[in-house]
Formats: sequence, structure tokens, C-alpha cells
Amino acid sequence: MKAGDACLLKLEGVSKTYRGSSNKAVDNLSLEVAPGEIFGFLGPNGAGKTTTIKMIVGLLMPDNGRIIVDSHDIVKDPVSAKRSIGFVPDDPNLYNRLTGLEYLNLVADVYGVSAADRAKRIRDLLSMFDLASEVNDIIQSYSHGMKQKLALTGALLHNPPLFILDEPMVGLDPRSSRLFKDLMRNHCDQGYAVFFSTHILEVAERLCDRVGIIDKGRLIACGSMDELRKLSSETDESLEDIFLELTLPEQVD
Amino acid sequence: MKHRLISLIWVQLNMNFAISHSRYYYLEKRQRLWEGVLIVVSVIMTAAVLAFGVYKLADAFYSQASLLHQEALTLTTGILAAQFLMLILGIALVIAVFYFSDDLPCLIPLPLRPWEVLASKFAVILSNEYLGLLVFIVPIFVAYGRRANVGIISYTLSAITIFLTLPVIPIAIASILAVILMRIVGFTKRKDMLTIIGGFLLVALIIGVQFYVQTRLPARGEEQEFMMQLLSQANSLVAILGRQFPPSIWATWAISEAGTSRGLLSLGLFLGVSALAFGLFLALGNRFFYQGVLSGFEAPTARRRTFRGKPERIRFSERTPLLSLAVAEMKLFSRTPVFVLNGFIGFLMFPIMFVVLLLLGNDPEISGLWSSLVNVPEFHSIGTLLVGAYFFLLTAFSGIPFSPFSREGKANIWFLRSQPISGQAAAMGKALASEIMIVVGAIPGLAVLQYTARLPVVSLIIGVSLGIAASYALCIWGVLLDMARPMLDWTDQQKAIKSNLNTVIGITTGIVVLFLMGYLVNLLFKRGCSGLVAQVVSGTVIAVVLGSGLRVLQLFGDRLWSSIEL
Ligand SMILES: Nc1ncnc2c1ncn2[C@@H]1O[C@H](COP(=O)(O)OP(=O)(O)OP(=O)(O)O)[C@@H](O)[C@H]1O
Ligand SMILES: [Mg+2]
Repeated sequence: MKAGDACLLKLEGVSKTYRGSSNKAVDNLSLEVAPGEIFGFLGPNGAGKTTTIKMIVGLLMPDNGRIIVDSHDIVKDPVSAKRSIGFVPDDPNLYNRLTGLEYLNLVADVYGVSAADRAKRIRDLLSMFDLASEVNDIIQSYSHGMKQKLALTGALLHNPPLFILDEPMVGLDPRSSRLFKDLMRNHCDQGYAVFFSTHILEVAERLCDRVGIIDKGRLIACGSMDELRKLSSETDESLEDIFLELTLPEQVD
Repeated sequence: MKHRLISLIWVQLNMNFAISHSRYYYLEKRQRLWEGVLIVVSVIMTAAVLAFGVYKLADAFYSQASLLHQEALTLTTGILAAQFLMLILGIALVIAVFYFSDDLPCLIPLPLRPWEVLASKFAVILSNEYLGLLVFIVPIFVAYGRRANVGIISYTLSAITIFLTLPVIPIAIASILAVILMRIVGFTKRKDMLTIIGGFLLVALIIGVQFYVQTRLPARGEEQEFMMQLLSQANSLVAILGRQFPPSIWATWAISEAGTSRGLLSLGLFLGVSALAFGLFLALGNRFFYQGVLSGFEAPTARRRTFRGKPERIRFSERTPLLSLAVAEMKLFSRTPVFVLNGFIGFLMFPIMFVVLLLLGNDPEISGLWSSLVNVPEFHSIGTLLVGAYFFLLTAFSGIPFSPFSREGKANIWFLRSQPISGQAAAMGKALASEIMIVVGAIPGLAVLQYTARLPVVSLIIGVSLGIAASYALCIWGVLLDMARPMLDWTDQQKAIKSNLNTVIGITTGIVVLFLMGYLVNLLFKRGCSGLVAQVVSGTVIAVVLGSGLRVLQLFGDRLWSSIEL
């Protein structure tokens, strides 16, 4: 792992219990993501991935612990921290009654992206995702994947140091998903970082520099593929085998 | 096994009143139980106070009416007003619930007939109307029952029957009009805009017909004879008033003469016509409802495909974040038919009524009263304050500033919350957008007001400035309220804007504040203060309220903002 000070994302002992719930959705979670790193966040359904991501981007307040984004505390200084983030949720509901372009302009205005910069970014990203000819249609008329591509475009407009995605591959077609994987790589090569959750273990295995596995709110494994393999009983197991081994459901009597 | 219609209605009612939702949060999870209790208690108390006011009013009305032997007029007036309001407000409500509910994509694939879906939605609307009637009609029934010489059992029975069936005719008429409108709109390309225009035209039509019938009643020159006839015959005015809407007399007689054959006959007639209207609506709906809904699912595309495949020709605008937020908010609002119909109905009802009144014969009495008022020397200063009050009242009744975060809903609020904007900036953007929309919406009514009152330019400018400041103060406090407790869980947009407790709080507060201000100004005039003093005092009050709102926003805005958790 690289130097702790230089990391773009740092979680220290973060816990969250949803109000009224008796179980911790996230339990004492600590991890770091360094510049240039793609971090894959894995775990079974209900493990606490989305909850963690919502806390990182400021949609939920952690009960305990600290979350530092690009050296800004998300709780104490949310605006500066959010400026360093580009975020796409698992089910990106965008404003149905705006056109794609109106949405992108809104995002660019909020992040203070200059007209020249946004023109270049938007054109590049739209032509990459093949969305340029629909950009003046209202978002209501977009397919699921088109909405997702628009949300990705919006999240990348300000070239965020930390790119955070909740299950980004779900609605993308093979070509877009390939383009998107290249894009994540490129983004990291600029010295930025990507943090994403996924259920597609092959993608995580091939793409991620490091992965973390969360189960019942607790981080049960974290590290590079090689480091994870050491945790399991047999060497050269696939990530799928490791995952299934580590996240055995509780025995019900 | 329950019949599928029954269980469909049950599910709809459950969602409408958030029964499972409240049980889960308040009872099982004990989450913010005190808040739930507080809300229920304060709503019941406010409703009780309102109901008591209506009771007192009805009682006083009864005393007046009994001098003319027109006691039953108490009932007729209440019933007519209730039905008229339900009909006018029903248009927006029905369009929202039938055509813009989020659960339609789940309901339509189910093996249900269109009329079954409609009937379940109709039940939801009725149940909501009962809440209003409980406050506004039941006290009238009680007041009449206590004063008039009625058989207690038969009176109560028929009063309950009428209470339960009262919303059927107006809502069925509104529904029939809406189903026809949406079917026609479904054929066109710009559906959202035409839904808005059509909705407002229907409201104008209803008000027009209403006034037309009303002005036609006592033909000119016959007034003397008419008055004689009135005084000689008990409750004849009921028959005359009821001519504009016969079911209202039937409802009156069904209650006031409960137990007699005339009462029973009237009850039968009223129930029969209600059933007929409901049946007609179901038949029509069964035929056209799904077509309207399905065409609404198709979003218009390709508004401008000029630069197809040529991204270098896309245009960009650059705005400050605050302005950009406000512009996006206004676009979103004005492109959502349910929001526009509900938010702007108050802005248009007043000018429409006035224009209809102008077109359909001048009532000499009203215009005489008005011109004598306008010619009072103090009128210019009063008029200035009236203009200010007009802005303030529109703001309160529109619901626009009390629901900006609620309107985002669970689906969309993540976006703003994850953007790098402070709570203060988010609130200021919303308040600015609300204020601009309210000022624009106020223009037609203002033009009408100025056309009749002919205030000097200076008075008008002062009045508008006071009005805008007062309205902005209310916007700031309203946005704060909605940020503190946004209602994000809704299935139809109607719930976000009008059936939102925040909006109800806003309307109530607006009325109370206006009443207090009126009292204060009246006091000043009685003490012999000039109009200028009254304006300065009002301006100071507004400045204090606005200033404190901005300060609270500064102090607590960010905390409120981050407490909206998803
Ligand atoms: N809004 C909420 N209110 C209460 N509990 C919640 C809420 N959202 C999630 N939970 C609970 O928190 C736990 C973690 O959920 P979370 O959504 O973080 O899981 P996840 O890892 O993203 O799962 P998935 O793979 O299904 O997306 C679950 O037990 C869930 O029931
Ligand atoms: Mg999830």
C-alpha cells in the first residue's frame, strides 16, 4: 500500500446503524484508496456496500469514524470534499423532464467547469458513449443504459480526483462497458482513483488493483489479488472461489 | 380470499395514508415516534379550531337566514360551496392521481380491467375529500341539526349518507372531463404543455358555467317581485339557488326534511344521480383511460436533431451555480403538469373569476360597492397594502415554496445532495426559483387588480415591492421548513405539492399572519395613523421576518441539509 497521507480516500473506523435498526449496516470499516488505484468493493446482497458509498459521498452521516476525501472531511467540510468526487449511484434517477444537455450544463455550473472545458469534455464523453445525437432529448425518453451513460458523463465533467460508482456495469452494453473500463484505467493513470462496488467478480479480478470484501457490515478481506489468495486455503483460486469461501452464509438450524 | 377489487382499493388506501409505512417507522422501529405524535396532535388541534370556526359561522348564518325563513339555506350554501371547490380543485387532483401516479407501470401489466384501477384510485380521492369535508361540512350539518327542529335519528342517518356521497358527483364530473381531456391530449406531441393548458381551460370553463348560471337567476326588473316571493315562502331561496346545481337542493332537502317523504325522495334522487355520474365515469374511463395513460408513457423525442452525430455543434451556457440551480428548478416545475396545475391554480382562479364576471353582465351592486370603496381617500394606502397582501396570499396558497425538496422525491434528491453545494446555496436556489415563479404567476391577477383599482404608479410600485419582499420572506421560511422535514416518499406528485403537510402548514401560517397584519394595520388606522405609517410598519415587519429567515438559514441550513439522509 502506498503512503497513508497521500491517499485520496480514507475511511477510519466508520460505522452506521440505520435509525431504528438493531444491526449495524456498516461496522467499524477502515480502508484507504491511493492515487492511481482502482478499488473494487465486493460483498453479498445487503452487506453494506451501498451504505458505505452513500457515506463516502455525503448522502448519509456515519455514526462513528472519519471519512477523508482528498484531505477533506466529508462531514466537516462536505462542499470541498464533494468537489473532489464524481459519483454515480446504483440506479441513477436523473431529472426526467430536463434534456440531457440541460442536465450536463447544470452539473458543470455547480462544479464551476468553464464553458470551454465543458464543451471539450462533454463532446468527448458524448461521442465516446455515442450519446451526442440524443443529448437534446428529454431524459424521460432515454433507455436505462443511456441514463447511466449520461450520469457517468455528468460525474466525469469536472475530472474528479475520486470517481465513485455503485454497480456501474449493470445496464451497460458490451461495447460501452468495455469503453468504460478503459476509461477507468485512463482516469487512474492520471493519478486519480476509482472506487466501485460490483457483483461481477471477473471484472473485479481483471480490473482492480485492490479489492475489499465486505460481509454483514464488516470488511473481511482487503488487498491485492495476490494478498487475497494467501487468505484462502488453496493457491491460484479464482476471486469467485475466494469470495464464496469467505462469505459463507450462517448455518440455520 | 378477498375480491381483487377490494384488495386493490386496500393497497391504494394503504399507500395513500402510508399505513404500513407509518406502522414500520413509528411503531416497529420507534423511529421519531414523538414527531409522529406531535404531527397527529397538531393536525387534529388545527382541524378542531377550524371546524369550530365553521360551526360558529354556520350558526350565525342560520340566525340571519331564519329571519327570512330561509334556514335551509345554511345547508345549501355549504353544500354548494363544497361541491364547487371539489369540482374546481378536482381537475388537477384527478389528472395527478389517474395519469401521473408512479404505480401505474406496476398496475397496468396486472390482469385488471381499466375501470377497476380507476375505481381504486377514485376511492383514494374520495377518502382524501372526506378529510376536508370533516372540517368544513360536518360542522355545518351539526350547527343546522342543533338549531332546526329535526328528528335526531333520521337527521343523523341522512346527514351521514350525504356526507359520504357528497364528493361523488363533483369528482365524477371532474374525472369525466379529465378522461376526455387526456384522451385528446394523448393524440398530440406536446402532451405536458397541452395537459396544463387543457387543465386550466377546464377550470375556466367550470367557473364560467357557474357564474353564467348564477347571474341568470333573478331576471332584472323582477327583483321586487322576487323578494316578495322569497319572504312569503319558507326556503324558496334554496330552490332558486339550487337551480344552478339541482343535486345541491336534493342534498339539502334530504337532510333538512329527513324522515318525510320529500326528504326520502330527495335522498333517492341525490343517490341516483351520484350513482349515474359514477357509472358514466367508469364506463367512459373503461374505454379511454388506458389509452391516455399509455400515450403518456411515450416521451417526445427529437425536438432538435439538427446536429445529429456532430457533437461539435452542441451549444453550452455558463451560469453561476445559484442561477443554474434556480433555472433548472423552474424548468422542472413548469414542465411537470401536476405541479403547474396545482401550484398555479390560485394564480389563475382570481383573474378568471373576474374576467367571467366582467363578461357576464355587471352586477350593479358589486360594482357600486367597489367604486365607493375605490373612491375613499385612504384607498390608495389601503390599496398598496392590498397589493402586498395579494402577493403574500398567493405565495401561501401556491404551495410552491413549501415543497421544493419534497417535489424532488426519493428518486431525485440524491442528485442535489451529492453535489458540492451547501445547504444554504441549495435553499437559496429553491427560494429564488419559487419567488420568480410566484411573481410571474401574480401578474395576471395584478393586472386585473390594477384595472379596477387604478392605483397611482407610486402606490403600485410600493405595493409590489412590499408584496415581493413579503412573498420572499415566506419563501425563505417555507424552503427552510421543507428542508427540515421533506416528504420524499410519494407515489403521485399531487402528494408532494398539495397533500403535503408542509403546504398545509404554509397555507395556515399564511392566513394567520395575514390576519394578524390586517389587525395591526386596522389598529393603526383607528389610531389615526396615515397610510404611509401603515406601509412603513408593514415593511419593517416584513424586513424583520425576512432577515431572521435568512439568518436561520445561515446558521442551520447546512445542518438541515445534511440531515436529509437517503
Ligand atoms: N434506507 C434504509 N433504511 C434501513 N435499512 C437499510 C436502508 N438501506 C439499507 N438498509 C439495510 O442496510 C444493510 C446494508 O444495505 P446496503 O444497501 O448497503 O447493501 P448492499 O451491499 O449495497 O447490497 P446490494 O448488493 O443488494 O446492493 C441491509 O441490511 C439493509 O437492509
Ligand atoms: Mg447496493
